Amino acid sequence: MRYRTQVVAYPYWVVALLLYGLQMVFGLLAIAKYLGPDPIRTLLPFDVSKEIHTNLLIVWVLTGFMGAAYWLVPEESRTELYSPRLAYWQLGLWTVAGVTAVVGYLFGWTAGNKLLEQPMPVKIAIVVVMLMFLYNIGMTIWRARRLTTTEGVLVAGLAASALLYLPSLLSFDNYTVSIFYRWWTVHLWVEGVWEMIQGGLLAYLLIRLSGADREVMEKWLYVIVALTFISGILGTAHHYFWVGVPSYWLPLGGFFSALEPLSFLAMASYAYMAMRRSGLAHPNRLAIHWTIGSAIFSALGAGILGLAHTWPAVNRWTHGTMITPMHGHMAFFGAYVMIVLGMVTYAAPGLFGHEAEQRETPVGLWAFWLQIGGMFGMTMAFATAGISQTYLERILGLGYLETQQKIQVHFLMLVGTGILFTIGVALFLYDFFFLAPRLSRKAAPGTWPATAEA
Amino acid sequence: MTKRQTRAFFFASTGLFSAIFIALTVDSHRQFPRLTHADQITPAVVAGKHVWHQKDCINCHTLLGEGAYYAPDLTKIAQQRGAAYLRTFLQDPWRFYSEERDRRIMPNLHLSDRQIDDLIAFLTWVSHIDTHGWPPRPILVSGAAVPGSNVGAPSPQPASSDPIAQGQALFGQAPPGCFACHSTAPGVSLVGPSLAGIAARAAERVASAEYHGKAKDAAGYIRESIAEPNAYVVPGPTYSSNGQSLMPGDFATTLHGAQIDAVVAYLMSLK
Repeated sequence: MRYRTQVVAYPYWVVALLLYGLQMVFGLLAIAKYLGPDPIRTLLPFDVSKEIHTNLLIVWVLTGFMGAAYWLVPEESRTELYSPRLAYWQLGLWTVAGVTAVVGYLFGWTAGNKLLEQPMPVKIAIVVVMLMFLYNIGMTIWRARRLTTTEGVLVAGLAASALLYLPSLLSFDNYTVSIFYRWWTVHLWVEGVWEMIQGGLLAYLLIRLSGADREVMEKWLYVIVALTFISGILGTAHHYFWVGVPSYWLPLGGFFSALEPLSFLAMASYAYMAMRRSGLAHPNRLAIHWTIGSAIFSALGAGILGLAHTWPAVNRWTHGTMITPMHGHMAFFGAYVMIVLGMVTYAAPGLFGHEAEQRETPVGLWAFWLQIGGMFGMTMAFATAGISQTYLERILGLGYLETQQKIQVHFLMLVGTGILFTIGVALFLYDFFFLAPRLSRKAAPGTWPATAEA
Repeated sequence: MTKRQTRAFFFASTGLFSAIFIALTVDSHRQFPRLTHADQITPAVVAGKHVWHQKDCINCHTLLGEGAYYAPDLTKIAQQRGAAYLRTFLQDPWRFYSEERDRRIMPNLHLSDRQIDDLIAFLTWVSHIDTHGWPPRPILVSGAAVPGSNVGAPSPQPASSDPIAQGQALFGQAPPGCFACHSTAPGVSLVGPSLAGIAARAAERVASAEYHGKAKDAAGYIRESIAEPNAYVVPGPTYSSNGQSLMPGDFATTLHGAQIDAVVAYLMSLK
């Protein structure tokens, strides 16, 4: 840790990781309900567990992003954070809003709009939090008069996320129109500006971990984010195919979303080239695992598996089946969960004031491989369930309920692999909270000895 | 390529594609009223949309294919099932489905009659949105479009003593084996005609000039068709021979009166 105020990242990541653990609980509950019968149906119906599962994901990943920004921006701009106090207040308000939303869902207080279920007061609190965050980061950069491309891309991604949240505050009487704008937030987040965030964090981690040349890395970062928007903006249309929009969105959505894997493949080759050119001799081996893992897994989950059902002629049959969570789970995990865990792992030694950056615990490696293996298995389970469902229900015309009974075996597989994944998450939390090196404070924070870092 | 050039590439391409996207958005707004029949968005439809959100329906069901995958898609449900059936169902979902049999069950949302009417109005409006032919084949809540496709499943059992639930189970059992010749999926004609939408069709037929049977209403027509298949013969290549229906003519004696009542009640729920 080079700057004292980078320590602000720590409470953010504590909150993020705790919510990550909680997300697993509701995910496992949801899949158990798929097996049925459900003894706690009246207490906690499926819709509530599912809505908490997805909302926790969004909240904790965003918390992780903000923590990452508070870690990265002072270092890139070579200054202390403008106001750590504001950052703590921001986290407090954010956590209160998040917890209020989750508790509210338990009591049926919901906007009932997929992924944007937050009731209006919570939505407004989220906007306020984002403004506090952007003000703090903006003032830090402004005072330092130094903005690197890496942090610029990261901060632009976060600012654009805030901006694109605004359509979710609108409401329309026409359901088709409300769907149309719901995707401005949801799609343009995850297949647009969040990719900027991932790209920025990936560039930072690769520069730090491989010692690759910053000029080269940042040059290609622009190409990656350009590819993201070339494909992603009009790629929004792959959500529009069947909801009552003009027909030109079909070929457009098909063509541009077929290009969406390009930016993810570019990120994977970006990581690969950095590794090839400069080697990955950094002692924080765990962080290398998560960083390279994110580049590869997002190419698979977000890129290839998205492509698998994005073409209109295919999507016509698979739309609204288990094929969607197949893509969704691996995409979110690869692109956003892994990059946040990469940042956390990379920063952990510095954050805890440890001298050595070396980080490779057996528990940490188990946490990595169990999450990778568990997620791969879950993806396969969703895929086999989705393919069977598409054939039985959509093509053969078997009833929904009969089909669900026939694909039970895949839900069992989902339970098994989901448990593996959850064990991986639990080990990550255990490693972070109990095993990460905490120092005999030979070097006080702020006087971090210069290392191989440039 | 220099960093300056790649930066210019990023800004130019992002700007260009954002502009195209916004232009198409404006054009879409021009077409939404026609594609979604916006003139039919009555206050009841808007109120029904509110119920849809308030009750978090989308986190179990899909609508227009969007939502959660824990419960059936409802895009065309209002066209598949009449308002009468949906009203009864929403008052008490357990009349037609059982958790033991189906492994999951919709909770009773305790909606008021007003909320139910609004929700049905909303779902009816949604069912007419121009979805470019999606779903390409109707999505059935339960049953099978083609006999034999539900391989290995036990004979269907009724979820409750409700006549519709009893009739639905009987329809899928052999005997009487109704399902072997009649599909309940639209457009799937087996040896006999598809019974999708039979309630609405029966009402039209009773009122039409070609009908000379004894039935006075749709339910009566369906009952008559079961008991006396020759009272009115629906034209179709495999439905009849020399003006005589190919349907067995002995259901009046092999089924009890209550069983026929149940099948009629079930078929009357297929709008």
